[in-house]
Amino acid sequence: MKKLASIPFMLLLVPVQVTIVPSVSVFGIRPDLCLVAACLVGLFAGRVHGGVVGFFVGFVQDFFFAGTPWLNTLTKTAVGYLSGVVAENVSTTRWYSAFFTMLVLSCASGVVFLLAARQGMDVGAVVHGISAVLVPQAVVDGVVALLPHRILARWMGHAPSAW
Amino acid sequence: MNGRFRPSVLVGSGTRRIMAVAFVLAGVAVVLLPRHAQFFLRAVGQPVADVVAIPIESMAPLTRGLRDGWHQVFPVHNLSEQNHELHQRVQQLRGEVNQWRERALAAERRAALVEFQRHAPIQTVAAQVIGRSTSNWYQGVVLNKGKRDGIRVEMGVITPAGVVGQIVKTAGSTSIVLLMTDPNVAIPGLVQRTRDEGIVQGTPRSHVRMKYIPPLSPVRKGDVVVTSGLTDGFPRGVLVGEVARIEEREGDLFQTAELVPVVNFQRMEEVLIVTSARPVAAMPSIEQAWDARENENAAQ
Repeated sequence: MKKLASIPFMLLLVPVQVTIVPSVSVFGIRPDLCLVAACLVGLFAGRVHGGVVGFFVGFVQDFFFAGTPWLNTLTKTAVGYLSGVVAENVSTTRWYSAFFTMLVLSCASGVVFLLAARQGMDVGAVVHGISAVLVPQAVVDGVVALLPHRILARWMGHAPSAW
Repeated sequence: MNGRFRPSVLVGSGTRRIMAVAFVLAGVAVVLLPRHAQFFLRAVGQPVADVVAIPIESMAPLTRGLRDGWHQVFPVHNLSEQNHELHQRVQQLRGEVNQWRERALAAERRAALVEFQRHAPIQTVAAQVIGRSTSNWYQGVVLNKGKRDGIRVEMGVITPAGVVGQIVKTAGSTSIVLLMTDPNVAIPGLVQRTRDEGIVQGTPRSHVRMKYIPPLSPVRKGDVVVTSGLTDGFPRGVLVGEVARIEEREGDLFQTAELVPVVNFQRMEEVLIVTSARPVAAMPSIEQAWDARENENAAQ
């Protein structure tokens, strides 16, 4: 039932990402809510659910994405699945485990986007991509993941650690 | 460690293993499938995209108020946008002046008739910006017009001020525009004063450059760059920007100019999609055709 209740939230993620998130970006960096969602579902519901949710939100996101086709579908599926794998090895209730999992997976996803978006460009463009987009976005994704992580931890019956 | 710890993390058993294999196969299939064979993914996704477009269009009016509120919270970040209204007006007037200047130059070259045809009203479709691209890696906007309105990939997008970008993706009721500041966009440009051609391209830092300007070109700061009309997406003479700096390094075969775009991409709300950059020639009436034929016969 809890999983069914999460479906409307998933359906609204892409509209929110396309309309509201760009308006509240800080220094031009927007969090990727779909990536955060896939990661958190993987952390709390396991790798299969993480992968399924990642696939779904990534698939929808790709229709509003200006870059390489199906890149979001692939990366979100992988992020959802891998965060589930992480959850099998570390505690999901600690805020720092969520933060660092999000940070690392966002960086990994960012590398894929970097390779696609800066294909054939010089080293300066790649370095700028890492310093101006990849790393800041990973940090923002990690920070943004903290609040839903706390809510989900309570909702799923885990006792969240103190922040 | 939580209670779900298992030593074998990458492969599980039963359903999980099957799901994992299915994900891997699906991923490989998506990557390896040739582009024209991916139609079934688009066919499945189109209805989903149409459904998702409904809340996007509903939420679009909210974003302006939200953005203004956000800018009041962080005013320092948006100091350059304080004169938004005046700036828009100036942009519009500059666009009009540019169009007239372009027409005058064309007349001086005694190509008035041809130039008139090129500058005749083009076919456009007005569209509203309803969202921004979902990624930080690509600079794009979402428009509320799609395939059902006759929008196709590679069509140009402009405002009364100048060039915005190019359509890169279309769904039933929406389309995605890649902005001119994105490095993946390249538009043929023309320096209006010197008539030198080059390629206008975005940079990773969201600037715009004009590349491949001939080395002996007297292009200088302040020169206006317009579209050259060599591609189908844009008509000739649409304002692109103004030269801010010339980058001329020793040993380079060409000059490169850094441009200041005339369009404020952050504040853009309505745009025009160029559905036909070249106007369809007016069909002569039957009387005109008959007269022309009689004149030809008389001349013979």
